[in-house]
Amino acid sequence: MEEPDTEPPLVVVPGADPSARQLCFAWGPAEVLVCETRFGRAGGSRSRSRSMSRALTGSVADTGEGAPGSSRVFVVRRDQDIYIQTLRKLFNESHGIFMGLQRSEEELAGKSRKAQLVQVSKNYRSVIRACMEDMHQAAVSTRDPALQGQYSTQVSILSAMELIWNLCEILFVEAAAAGPLLLRLLDWVRLHVCDVDSMVREVLSSENPSKHKLFWNVVDVFVLQGRMDEARHLLSKEVAANPTSMNMYKILDDLMKKMPMPSLGNTQTLTELELKWQHWHEECQRFLQDGTFASNPHMESICKILVGDEDAILEKKELMTTWYHFLVTRLLYSHPTVKPMELRFYAQSSMDLFLGGESSPEPLDMILMAAFEFEMHQVIKECSIVLSNWWFVAHLTDLLDHCKLLQSHNLYFGSNMREFLLLEYASGLFSHHSLWQLGVDYFDHCPEFGRVYLELHIERIPLNTEQKALKVLRICEQRQMHEQVRSICKIMAMKALRNNRLGSALSWSIRAKDAAFATLISDRFLKDYCERGCFSDLDLIDNLGPSMLLSDRLTFLGKYREFHRLYGEKRFPEAARLLLTLMTAHIAPCSFWMTLLTDALPLLEQKEIIFSAEQTYELMRCLEDLTAGNSSDPSSAPFQEDDVETTKVEMLRLALARNLARVIVKEGTVEGS
Amino acid sequence: QVSVINTVDTSHEDMIHDAQMDYYGTRLATCSSDRSVKIFDVRNGGQILIADLRGHEGPVWQVAWAHPMYGNILASCSYDRKVIIWKEDNGTWEKTYEYTGHDSSVNSVCWAPHDYGLILACGSSDGAISLLSYTGDGQWEVKKISNAHTIGCNAVSWAPAVVPGSLIEQPSGQKPNYVKRFASGGCDNLVKIWKEEDSQWKEEQKLEAHSDWVRDVAWAPSIGLPTSTIASCSQDGRVFIWTCDDASGNSWSPKLLHKFNDVVWHVSWSITANILAVSGGDNKVTLWKESVDGLWACISDVNKGQGGVSAVTEGQQNEQ
Repeated sequence: MEEPDTEPPLVVVPGADPSARQLCFAWGPAEVLVCETRFGRAGGSRSRSRSMSRALTGSVADTGEGAPGSSRVFVVRRDQDIYIQTLRKLFNESHGIFMGLQRSEEELAGKSRKAQLVQVSKNYRSVIRACMEDMHQAAVSTRDPALQGQYSTQVSILSAMELIWNLCEILFVEAAAAGPLLLRLLDWVRLHVCDVDSMVREVLSSENPSKHKLFWNVVDVFVLQGRMDEARHLLSKEVAANPTSMNMYKILDDLMKKMPMPSLGNTQTLTELELKWQHWHEECQRFLQDGTFASNPHMESICKILVGDEDAILEKKELMTTWYHFLVTRLLYSHPTVKPMELRFYAQSSMDLFLGGESSPEPLDMILMAAFEFEMHQVIKECSIVLSNWWFVAHLTDLLDHCKLLQSHNLYFGSNMREFLLLEYASGLFSHHSLWQLGVDYFDHCPEFGRVYLELHIERIPLNTEQKALKVLRICEQRQMHEQVRSICKIMAMKALRNNRLGSALSWSIRAKDAAFATLISDRFLKDYCERGCFSDLDLIDNLGPSMLLSDRLTFLGKYREFHRLYGEKRFPEAARLLLTLMTAHIAPCSFWMTLLTDALPLLEQKEIIFSAEQTYELMRCLEDLTAGNSSDPSSAPFQEDDVETTKVEMLRLALARNLARVIVKEGTVEGS
Repeated sequence: QVSVINTVDTSHEDMIHDAQMDYYGTRLATCSSDRSVKIFDVRNGGQILIADLRGHEGPVWQVAWAHPMYGNILASCSYDRKVIIWKEDNGTWEKTYEYTGHDSSVNSVCWAPHDYGLILACGSSDGAISLLSYTGDGQWEVKKISNAHTIGCNAVSWAPAVVPGSLIEQPSGQKPNYVKRFASGGCDNLVKIWKEEDSQWKEEQKLEAHSDWVRDVAWAPSIGLPTSTIASCSQDGRVFIWTCDDASGNSWSPKLLHKFNDVVWHVSWSITANILAVSGGDNKVTLWKESVDGLWACISDVNKGQGGVSAVTEGQQNEQ
């Protein structure tokens, strides 16, 4: 079998007793369960013949008794970033950007599409920066040192993410060409190498900058970062204080002013720039060789930097702080027209020269290197390993995919890199009580497995409140996830029933189209009616409409209620007809016939005759069927012969007979005679 | 990095054999050699004992939660040869059914996919597998497969419900024609697949690869692919991943995940079936994930330690 190329990382469960033998493990929907146990005595003792039991634990006690282990169960969860409150904004806002990107116009081609994608990239980055700000504020304002440490760590992680994303934006999304490429990289360095900022501020704000001991450091910083105007401005202050170096200054200032730089507009071609730059470079070289700056080491070193002298630049290591700053400075002063594909050579050598074998590259360095080498997959892979969440790689990969940069790299699940990462990210969101809603949208945009992952995850969302259940339901209905809809409705119906909320249970089971459950609940309603003499949840039953047909019992419930309504509205003939139909059409269960017949009593006793002769005969037949035990329902209990029942039957028979007598007379009488 | 977000002190007086979260992760059920089954409410990091269920007369080996649409129902099985089904009614947990049809310890219980109804499979040391189906009104129907595994059956696991072929919604009230299957592992070193045909359970497949007792089987949840996957682990220290590519379920091929140095006791799949957890005798739980080229890689070892938390630097492209 495959041997992993690295040892799998060991995850230690804090607090568990290391002397216990084994770990029992179970998956929860979001967390996992780990508890100490001892296998072996279970298995060994399970066999019928004890001689075959495996004495793994050296004990043959077959009841599993023995030294008790710990009685603790650990609920373990990966430290997911979704639980960090301050990152909430990151997830919510990036979700908005993600959705916007999915829906964006694919029809825009060429430059406008590219501009659009670059804007999306910038939006993502600004969200990261906003989060960094918040996190920084939180770190500053908290008094708890542990929290402060946490926040600070988060800030540096976010900062690294933005650094990487920015570089990817320059190289991949914008795909800056030779010329603008260098300008972008300069911006990138200026934005991200901030260690020198405080020093710069200090010097500039001092009364006499040129007297400040760090003055020349700041000038160097400006030169290294290609900030010529600022450097020249500072130098002018220096020469004002020391007029003796006026001549040198004039020459240096002139060189710096004339330095050819790539431009963003198309005002010059690359060849033109290269030519100009060659001339300028040679001119700088001449001045240096002539010893023009020999008496002022500071200015001399600046000129050396201008001609791209590696050693001179490397001397200023502390001011650059990183190898990629060194890289960009090198390029600025030796090869400003560098092409994207040439970056890799310079990158590797820059890192080697800068680190000089003293320190080894960190993960961040490797990621940036992979980017300079245009190994997008490598960038994504390294980021996946180093970062503790899928957020970064999922969104970046999605963007790169929209730039049509990732060839379909077929994976077993997730069918391509983009989908794989989005599935992982979205799955993680589902363990959060409110972020899961974002997850739904992400799954929607995973064409291969998104739907099934959604089905599996959405079922596990605890339906704590009716409101939440309705929300989940709406999501399932919108996506025609009928199985999940039914399942959720059934769960809610069962819950309602357990809490004796019959009306709620009924409406949920109707929504679930669960006939069996509807029957069960209708029976409960009817039972309640028999016990209390009135219905609960009248509104619901009155407005059943066609859903009444879901189950026979439910139909009966609805119709029976209708009977009561008609009676209440004194529409006796209609009520009578309905009552009879309920029995003759066998809508009513036989167990209820007695009740129905008893309900007929008041109708029979009315002054007005309500039941016709035929109807009365029908009623009598029903009564006889019931008492004779000849009902067509085989499951009904045989008719009970007890005092109360017998009295009832007597009364009914009397009432029916009386009614029959009256109705025969009435029907026999000719009108008007 | 992981955090222990809750340490539930179960106060069991003896070894805990199984702990299971309910569907939503809000409740925890544990069972122990002290013959009791306990249920805790673990929401928001709390641990409130909801029930201490007594009824078994021997160590309780496993517990299993039924799907919430049937209410709060828990099954437990024990050395005392009994399977007990507990149900929550009006806030209290009570025994709702007790099955004593086995002649020997019942080792494993597993609820079927909710689509089939409320059905529990039980595997016992007497070699038989029982299937208890709820028929309504507190009644359970029993079907028994005798001699499913010679010497004893150690594990049962249901296949996910997949309606063959049909993607059309069935008219309400009509049950689609599910083909019910489950897998079992036994002391005859075999993994067997059972299929229901004409209301009878028949042995459909015999999967041979282990050289010692099969301790656990786990059928992976379905993610819509036509393949089926089963994990099995054994006394012989091996864990196999069995896959079947065709819908008819005829050709299963094993792939050795790893050979461990000790007995492997349990295997279980995560919800979306992309991670397999393997509990070995060597003090660890290892997590495995299938990588790009169809090979399985171990992505982390979950271990116990002296209290410190070591940083997890995820190995390879796949991370937990």
